[in-house]
Amino acid sequence: MPLGNIVILEEGVPERMHFTGHRITTRDITDPDTGRPGTRNVLEFDVDSLNGGAVSAKWSTMSEKLYGLLEPFLPGQVYRSYEFIITRRGTGFRTVYTVDKIPRPSAG
Amino acid sequence: MARKSAQVETRMVSEYLLKYYAAYPTRTGVPLGSVDEKLMATAGYQKALNMSRPYRPEVDAIVILPRYLVLIEAKVWNVVNGLAKLPLYKALVPTTPELKEYREREIIMELVVGWTSTNLETMAAAAGVAVKVYDPPWLDDVVKRMHNYWTKDYQAERQRVLETRRSFGLE
Repeated sequence: MPLGNIVILEEGVPERMHFTGHRITTRDITDPDTGRPGTRNVLEFDVDSLNGGAVSAKWSTMSEKLYGLLEPFLPGQVYRSYEFIITRRGTGFRTVYTVDKIPRPSAG
Repeated sequence: MARKSAQVETRMVSEYLLKYYAAYPTRTGVPLGSVDEKLMATAGYQKALNMSRPYRPEVDAIVILPRYLVLIEAKVWNVVNGLAKLPLYKALVPTTPELKEYREREIIMELVVGWTSTNLETMAAAAGVAVKVYDPPWLDDVVKRMHNYWTKDYQAERQRVLETRRSFGLE
């Protein structure tokens, strides 16, 4: 679901995205369980296509699991050759993701 | 990202898919098995899938080839556990609603591991599973760290750290 120019993953709703750029930044957060402040790394992508429609948006994640899945696509922006369908299920520590990688027609 | 090493098998399967199946659609974290039909009728298809997610087993990845469906488990530790799961997961594919359109395809099972052994190959052959060795350089570091965990030196150092933490009231 796009909110402004930010893509939000709603529980159980697959979002099909194409990424054109990425960066790793940091974000100050407050742990919802302990109330302690902290800094987390954020993997942020520029999105130019969302569910088949052209957009100019960003999608970001702090999930280590998602980082692990997407990390191999970062060098050389390999992700540009694919579309990703990401589905989030569950919340908190029980959040799981299903990630589909679909080659774009131009991809080898 | 912090504690990247905690996602060793995640990274392993993702790299493997990119290296060997770059040209094909893949899916990671795939729930398997049936979803209660009554639940589907009352809650709707998507909501029933969401509600059933915690109770369904999950295969690390699938690859959708033109004639085949590849089931993949990646394991660094508990390798036999991964091997044993694959034939059971295969049995669930025909009842998995999300994979309905691929049911006619022949199923291939692949166990992705950092190293193999004669015994593993023998068990895998008996189970109809192909063992695929994928050992990128970063995996060696992970394995070394894991092996060090059991050494006398590491345990002594760990004990020293714990005692220091206790002395500061941190444990």
